[in-house]
Amino acid sequence: MYRQGDVLIMALEESAVPAPFLKAPDELRDGRGRLVLALGEVTGHAHAVQGPGRLIREAGPFGPMLLHLPEGGRVVHEEHATIPLPQGWFRVVRQREYAPGAIRIVAD
Amino acid sequence: MQHVNSWRDVAAATGAADRAAAEEGVRHAYRTAGLAEPGQIVWAQSPRAAVGIVEKLADAGRSVREEVRTRPWAEERRRMYDELGPAGWSALWSATGAQLWETTAALAERIRSGVVADLAPRPEDEGAVRLVLLDAVLGQHDAAWLAAFDGRGDRLTGLAEVARNAGWWWPYENAVVISERPQVLHRDEAGRLDHGEGPALAYGDGFALYAWRGMPVPAAFLEELASLTPHRIREEENAELRRVMLEYYGYDRYLTESGARPVHRDETGILWRIALDGDEDVVMVEVVNSTPEPDGTHRTYWLRVPPATRTAKEGVAWTFGLEGAAYAPVRQT
Repeated sequence: MYRQGDVLIMALEESAVPAPFLKAPDELRDGRGRLVLALGEVTGHAHAVQGPGRLIREAGPFGPMLLHLPEGGRVVHEEHATIPLPQGWFRVVRQREYAPGAIRIVAD
Repeated sequence: MQHVNSWRDVAAATGAADRAAAEEGVRHAYRTAGLAEPGQIVWAQSPRAAVGIVEKLADAGRSVREEVRTRPWAEERRRMYDELGPAGWSALWSATGAQLWETTAALAERIRSGVVADLAPRPEDEGAVRLVLLDAVLGQHDAAWLAAFDGRGDRLTGLAEVARNAGWWWPYENAVVISERPQVLHRDEAGRLDHGEGPALAYGDGFALYAWRGMPVPAAFLEELASLTPHRIREEENAELRRVMLEYYGYDRYLTESGARPVHRDETGILWRIALDGDEDVVMVEVVNSTPEPDGTHRTYWLRVPPATRTAKEGVAWTFGLEGAAYAPVRQT
């Protein structure tokens, strides 16, 4: 389990990956060829991974998402230290905040 | 995604329209739809002003929104769906329009509500205003779906050209009314309208929306925020406004001044609880950012968690949808 700011990245056994997602279409990479786990609307700062891999969105604009890194990778962000990840599957979750009657995502 | 980011900028663009480019886009869209170019193009400072102008237009003819916008869009969508297949279309949408959809659609809906609230103070007048709003093409706020079609044909070139250069517009047989874009747009990192010191969205003629982290608030309420006191916050009867007051005032400041004591402390942070009359308790975890700021200090921040939270770790885990025992990052930055 790894955390970069408002994004939590949890290792996942391949056998635990829901079958439909193995065949689901990948998220496209951004203009710099990165897999973007979360993007700040205003600053444009992104939690992102470079290199080989795929990112699959499960539902909703704020994830969770599934990340597959066959050779491992590095999660970068403009304001947070880089986190190296081993090879494998991961579940990516955005942080949320409680509001009575609603739950809001956190944007750092 | 390059396209997505340029369309993200379109959706959030402020400042004067490029009127010549927008008008050329309008004429292009009419020609593409097989219509004669409109005889008259009228500019408005805001969607609210545009609705007023549309209501007074003489000899405008019928709305051609269907021909100019809806039909070309639907046919292009069908063409691409047939070409890419269901999975391909879904992947394209997910990588393009879906990224912008939620925030842009929410913004457009807020503008609609704001126009209705301003122009139809009596509920019985709302219908007429809403009818005019139904004729609108959303210009820059059509960015989400225009992003999906970008670079895949020229059928929507005119619509895209207006979107890149102007705000909402109303196409009729003989006349078009186009709104300028907002002059001011403040959003938070999640894309929600958000500003504590004035309107979060404002057009040149004064049409404006006020919001705090997406929640609509009255303009007068914001003016009061600068002079808040813990006493005033406790007195506020409207629970939603009181939450905004607390956020604006700063949980940390409020905690200090109201003499609150930490409820629990562990390696993930500190849990605080503030009891409020007539509302559920505010329970927060205080956490320290793992990555130092440029000056070497660590930023402390507060996240509100459900009132039943008992430990700091349980609170932090909840923010990621986990049980307390399951939360154990081996590395955090």
